[in-house]
Amino acid sequence: MAARRALKAVLVDLSGTLHIEDSAVPGAQEALKRLRSAPVTIRFVTNTTKECKRDLLERLTKLGFDIAENEIFTSLTAARNLLEQKQVRPLLLVDDKALPDFTGIATDDPNAVVVGLAPERFHYEMMNRAFQLILDGAPLIAIHKARYFKKKDGLALGPGPFVTGLEYATDTKAIVVGKPEKTFFLEALRGAGCAPEEAIMIGDDCRDDVGGAQNAGMRGILVRTGKYRPADEDKINPAPYLTCENFPEAVEHILERLL
Amino acid sequence: MAAWARAVRGLLLDISGVLYDSGGDGGVPIAGSVEAVRRIKASGLKLRFCTNETQATREKFVKKLQGMGFDISVAEVTAPAPAACRILKERSLRPHLLVHNDLVPEFAEIDKTNPNCVVIGDAAENFTYANLNEAFRVLIGMEKPVLISLGRGRYYKETDGLKLDVGAYMKALEYACDVQAEVVGKPAKMFFESALAEMGVPPQQAIMIGDDIVNDVGGAQRCGMRALQVRTGKYSHE
Repeated sequence: MAARRALKAVLVDLSGTLHIEDSAVPGAQEALKRLRSAPVTIRFVTNTTKECKRDLLERLTKLGFDIAENEIFTSLTAARNLLEQKQVRPLLLVDDKALPDFTGIATDDPNAVVVGLAPERFHYEMMNRAFQLILDGAPLIAIHKARYFKKKDGLALGPGPFVTGLEYATDTKAIVVGKPEKTFFLEALRGAGCAPEEAIMIGDDCRDDVGGAQNAGMRGILVRTGKYRPADEDKINPAPYLTCENFPEAVEHILERLL
Repeated sequence: MAAWARAVRGLLLDISGVLYDSGGDGGVPIAGSVEAVRRIKASGLKLRFCTNETQATREKFVKKLQGMGFDISVAEVTAPAPAACRILKERSLRPHLLVHNDLVPEFAEIDKTNPNCVVIGDAAENFTYANLNEAFRVLIGMEKPVLISLGRGRYYKETDGLKLDVGAYMKALEYACDVQAEVVGKPAKMFFESALAEMGVPPQQAIMIGDDIVNDVGGAQRCGMRALQVRTGKYSHE
């Protein structure tokens, strides 16, 4: 690792790394403050299909984190950037709460399809509309492809099955924009003015956070908080650059060893 | 006439996209096909209608086609729902049904209490998130999920455009539960074989006519039949 160039950017996962539901990881606010004193760009990166940046920011601020909205990069941001880059007008199958992140994007006469988690929009008529657009050449953009998620009253279908159904019907592949896609990490670094080799990712998901980042050329630190389960670090090859107890310990390592 | 053509003794006809285009208004016959069915019957060739239609009972479906002028009876139709009922009975399976309301009577004789499998058909408007989630929960709660799909078509043509078929939703549940569905209907070999048996014609002497390159043409050819693809129905979009 000695041959590496000095660190210029730190990407930090939110849920499970800085906070778990409505409580902050102990010492995380302080650690973030210390990290800010170092000459590095900080970005907060997360897979979300429901919460817009504003809602995420509100929650983090309430928990005492010093974060600015333009430091947050989510899978919704990635989808938006892709739409702008392709200059397409999307049919948005996303939750109402996610719509603020698409403000200003034209949606009339759509020629692209974006699928998030939107149970009330996954009805036959809307799915047919999406299907017909894709068949006519509209790109299918998936915020992510999770199979299901846990609700209070049991398991519930995620966006993945609906994306898969549309892929099958149209014989196409969706462009997935969230973690662990390589482009997600590279996009998150945009504006930081540094190469992936000069960046590090801290997260609690071995595959999506650490594996994804390392696959994009960054280093990855796995924290043993949030969804972490013993032996998670063995799930990827090459192994995580480092496994730490928690976010504060990861920050200490960066400040002492990587600058 | 070529030597192979002389040997033909039986025809299997797909219905939707070959004889008529379905739609909210009941659909419209494809020009000349009423007369063509009449000519096949007059020629002495054996004829069987081989459909993946699961939006209505055979009785209702046949009545609609008769109304358009087709010479067709329920006894001449091979369809997935009755085939599925035979499998359910054989294996003592009690289905949770994710099908069109009009298909439910086909399962009248089947015990549906405390389900231990899911049967999915072309449910159309019944393909809501809530209904799919219910089917998903039945499957994910089983030690070894059993998903039976009435066909695996990607889409079909209605008078107002192309519509998602059961295959898209079968794939959705397969992906969600990490299972492989058992397909009853075209292109399953067993389905074609039962249609041939009902006609009493071996595959070498039968021809399948359909608009779906995978489910009609591919499926029939894998059974040793010859197949003709027509340029009506979904054809132009493939």
